[in-house]
Amino acid sequence: MTDRITSQLISSSLLYASEEMGIALRNTSYSPNIKERMDHSAAIFDPSGRLLAQAEHIPVHLGSLPWGLRNIVRYCIKESMEFEQGCMIAANNPYITGTHLNDVTVIAPIHQGGEMVGFAANKAHHADVGGSVPGSISMKARSIFEEGFVVDPVYLVRRGRFLDRSVNLFASRSRTPQERVGDLKAQVAANITGSRRVAEIISKYGLQAFKAAADDSIRYAQTIAKKRLSLLKEGIYRAQDYLEHPDGRDIRLTVTVNVSDSAVEFDYGGTSAQLDIPLNAVLGVTISGAFFVFRSLVGHDIPANEGSFSPVVVRAPRGTLVNPTFPHPVGGGNVETSQRNADLLFRALYSAAPKLVPAACGGSMNNVMMGGKHRGKGWAFYETIGVGLGGREGMDGLDGIQANMTNTMNTPVEELERSFPVMLTKYEFRQDSAGPGMYRGGAGLVRGYKMLSQRTIFTVISERERHRPWGLAGGGPGAMTRVFHIRNGRIERINSKLTVVLNGGDEVVIFTAGGGGYGEPRLRSREAIERDMSNGIITPAYVQRHYGFKVVSRNPQRRPAPS
Amino acid sequence: MSAMTVHNTQISVGVDVGGTFTDVVGYDSVTGEFRFSKALTSPKPETAVIKGIRGLGFEDTRIGLLVHATTLATNSLLTHSCLAKAALVTNRGFRDVIEIGRQRRPELYDLRTRRPSPLIPRRHRYTVGGRVMSDGAEVEPLDIREARRVVADILKRRFTSVAVCFLNSYVNPEHELKFRSILRDAGYRGHVSLSCEVDRKYREFERMSTTVVNAVLAPLVSSYVRRLGRLLLRERITSPIQIMASDGSVITLRDVSERPSAIIESGPAAGVLASKHLARRYGISHALTFDMGGTTAKAGAVINGEPDLVFEFEAAGSTHSGRSIKGSGYPVRGPFIDLAEVSSGGGTIAWVDDGGELRIGPRSAGANPGPACYGRGGSEATVTDANVVLGRLSPDYLLGGKMKIMHDLAMEAVRRIAKLAHLNTEDCANGIIRIANNTMARAISIVSVERGRDPRNFTMFVFGGAGPVHCCDLAEELDVRRIIVPVHAGLFSAYGLLTAEMAKTFTLPVMSTNPDLSDAFAELRRIADDEMRREGLNEYSIVRYAEVRYKGQSYELTVKYDRQLRRAFDKIHRQLYGYSSTDDIEVVNAKIKVVVPGSTVSMPKIVNQQSKRPARWRSAFLGGAWLTTRVLARESLRPGESGRGPCIIEEYDSTLVVNPGWSWKAHSHFTEVTK
Repeated sequence: MTDRITSQLISSSLLYASEEMGIALRNTSYSPNIKERMDHSAAIFDPSGRLLAQAEHIPVHLGSLPWGLRNIVRYCIKESMEFEQGCMIAANNPYITGTHLNDVTVIAPIHQGGEMVGFAANKAHHADVGGSVPGSISMKARSIFEEGFVVDPVYLVRRGRFLDRSVNLFASRSRTPQERVGDLKAQVAANITGSRRVAEIISKYGLQAFKAAADDSIRYAQTIAKKRLSLLKEGIYRAQDYLEHPDGRDIRLTVTVNVSDSAVEFDYGGTSAQLDIPLNAVLGVTISGAFFVFRSLVGHDIPANEGSFSPVVVRAPRGTLVNPTFPHPVGGGNVETSQRNADLLFRALYSAAPKLVPAACGGSMNNVMMGGKHRGKGWAFYETIGVGLGGREGMDGLDGIQANMTNTMNTPVEELERSFPVMLTKYEFRQDSAGPGMYRGGAGLVRGYKMLSQRTIFTVISERERHRPWGLAGGGPGAMTRVFHIRNGRIERINSKLTVVLNGGDEVVIFTAGGGGYGEPRLRSREAIERDMSNGIITPAYVQRHYGFKVVSRNPQRRPAPS
Repeated sequence: MSAMTVHNTQISVGVDVGGTFTDVVGYDSVTGEFRFSKALTSPKPETAVIKGIRGLGFEDTRIGLLVHATTLATNSLLTHSCLAKAALVTNRGFRDVIEIGRQRRPELYDLRTRRPSPLIPRRHRYTVGGRVMSDGAEVEPLDIREARRVVADILKRRFTSVAVCFLNSYVNPEHELKFRSILRDAGYRGHVSLSCEVDRKYREFERMSTTVVNAVLAPLVSSYVRRLGRLLLRERITSPIQIMASDGSVITLRDVSERPSAIIESGPAAGVLASKHLARRYGISHALTFDMGGTTAKAGAVINGEPDLVFEFEAAGSTHSGRSIKGSGYPVRGPFIDLAEVSSGGGTIAWVDDGGELRIGPRSAGANPGPACYGRGGSEATVTDANVVLGRLSPDYLLGGKMKIMHDLAMEAVRRIAKLAHLNTEDCANGIIRIANNTMARAISIVSVERGRDPRNFTMFVFGGAGPVHCCDLAEELDVRRIIVPVHAGLFSAYGLLTAEMAKTFTLPVMSTNPDLSDAFAELRRIADDEMRREGLNEYSIVRYAEVRYKGQSYELTVKYDRQLRRAFDKIHRQLYGYSSTDDIEVVNAKIKVVVPGSTVSMPKIVNQQSKRPARWRSAFLGGAWLTTRVLARESLRPGESGRGPCIIEEYDSTLVVNPGWSWKAHSHFTEVTK
């Protein structure tokens, strides 16, 4: 019989172990995405695939890592691949693993005393997995095969040794093979760390106590999650929002949310059919969005295990944008559709919890990929740029920061410039981009890249170029995304979903969207408006337009906003 | 006159200014006598310093050295009080690097998350044209006209401090140096912090943040040390004053005024130093340190006489399970004694969440109102109350009788929580202790297990007022077999100040795959020799370090430099992460540490009382059961005396609980507890 306190100690030790896995991964990896930006997740599962603990890394992995683990386990059973001691299994097929090809998932069965007691698993964004453009995510992809190599679950490690053939499946088809090897080793190091810790926990408390603790902690999370449902008003809520097809069409997302006393059901009936451009979000991503919104609204402090999401039900019809079928392209679904999904669900639940839901954030991860050849060597780089967050009850939205489904770090300018033939020209808050309101939205960002080598293939995938991030409770919308290409002194606005070939000296400048405002602008305090103005976040013209009064700027270094 | 020649024949004084108390230790090197004093920390910390020194009762003119640890810098960052009105100057187009930070929200699922408010608001941030690249090449000269305009505005708006940080200045600092001369030429008299001098390392945000923290602290800290110097003079104390830096070395007042960012973790470093001293003296090569006070517990490690260091710290940030949360505070780089900190102290409050689970912290009842059992109006159950309920702490008094303990108030507070958690009072009190122990064990495991160290090979040094109560529990949790509890455990940190050495670290960015660093070290040596000459010091030793990683990684490990650099690095990498690689290694920085040895200070002893008090007995809940337990007074124990657990040994400001299965032995400077 295991007492409750012991169970509690075991489950907090497990959470701690999953955090330690993330640190090992970051410290030993080679991709800037992982080592500088922490675009990865780590978790521990029981043998049946129930989530026991997941470190807080990236929300889009919250539901997709467990979803992916269970699919890999199922696949292995079907293919008679055994979870023998000392083996690890890797895969990147998003229809199995749950996000997009760049995210490679590595799982390790954990053995103790001749019995399999669980899994350590992690997922990390590799900078390049082949495909038609450096960085692999391309708006031109019409199927998953153009987005890179697809690897179904294979043994990566057996009896504690790397299988060169498997490593090559990832390395030889990437533009930066050495980096792939380094990253895979880092992922293995993370799982070794997780497995060691689980083994230690079991030898300290015993296997029976470990199993009992797993059940207890899941039941406990279930109990709180159910209780917290009362924070949401029961009822049926609907919302729509849009993604922007590069050809000018709007792509509709629809949700009907049914909040009852025992569940929150998200039904995506009415959402656009799957597309032949890479905005499809595999089901793992869609589920992550629902989990994220639920967790943010009612329980950011509930332990992240199988039980904490038990009230959430997701119905996403097959063959739609939010549950596509193989081999539809999915590269941008994980990033852009994922963000829009969160917007959509927040919007639907506004009436159920008006004080909790913030206005829309900038609504895009603003993906930037570039690469080519420099001094005879291939290079590839990927990053995302923050946006403004939406205004909130009682608080302004934050300026220039990662929103909702992502929380990756930026790449330091000095790291970027010493690793790649690129010079950064600008990295600042975007003036006049915040949605006006009693509590204003956050300002977007401006980031400019100048090419130092010939023929750089540059891809940007962004959103909110035609649909402004919405305000709430009378607040105004945030500014829309804008992308500019500067060549020989000529400035040209370009589409926000585009791949271009750049010459040396060419510059691309991205203006990311601002957050929507919360509450009526006329209720904003004069003092707050003046503070924003003296800080140069907004200009006198903006004040007059949105707050309806005239002022003289006192900003010492006023610069005209480029647009 | 250098500090070293003076204090061999005189009195050295260590002053540790904490949140509640200012602890003072004096050591007379002629007689070997130690004196201790405690004063309540006052809003003007220098007055408590003076009061504490007076409290020692030494003749002031005999004081030959004053070593001082202060929380001034940390506190003003935490509360945003007394920080300077500072300006920041950076590249055109990069005005917000400092506020964007790493572009990450500190809390993932908290829709009400916020950033720490900027130390320099946007309206005080200036930009100037000019650009240097990562290879040091200047692609655009510094815009002198624009720089002059900015300087004119800085003068007009009366900034008392200016931070300057340009991109890639870690390779080529020319633009920063030029900007400073323009400032000075225009007649600016305030503090100037250049990033190339404060923290010459790559990654612009962290360098800029360190520089900004330095700039906002400079006026405050330099005026504090000036004031303190004046007050001491008035007391006819003319000794040199040294301040404890975050890495456990001491630095001169001149250094502190220029680099206040170096003393942010001044206070906590001292306890680790004291442990280091004790460990060296007794030949203990592997020591874990555990310091538990009223609100937090901190764990560190000292290996072969060297405390673990860490090179980035989130000042005024929050922590999660002993690890700091990125983006929650103000990053400062530089050597810090590495401490894992958890919100678990004697005053930490227990509560029940809406799932019915018992939890503790991070809220603390602090010193005021304090735990319920203090009877000062606190009604919430704390870790101390749980210890009282379980008989582990005296049910009658603490501080040798100076402080009454109300057992019934402790019972009542715990009973209230127990009811909410559907537990009986005893299980609840025991639950509080177990959860606190687990949290604290985690801090210790961060500095041991997580770094590939087996706690079984370590001796644990336990101090701070609340530490010794929990030491056996923690040791059991981590499988540590030997514990050392110094006498005067509550004043151990202040004692540590007396053992500090003067040291200085010099860094040079290398960024090369060539493991031969002789050129870099020759240059560093030159810089160091010059600097030490300026300080008037000629006896010092030098240790070389290299910061190394596999080419392509971003996180480097610090390795002692010798010809076998590659082998040493592979070995550490394997130890930490389970593998090494055949990839090239890349040296990021070469570093040397210059150490000026301090004088030898002996260890404080307990003064035995003449008459032996009779042993008492009380019922205490130890190792899972109520046991009739012997209670001894520490001052009645003679060196060499020993016994077995269960046993409780009470000292003036701490209580040592020896669990069943453990043995204890009194030494003159400490109590040893072994399994």
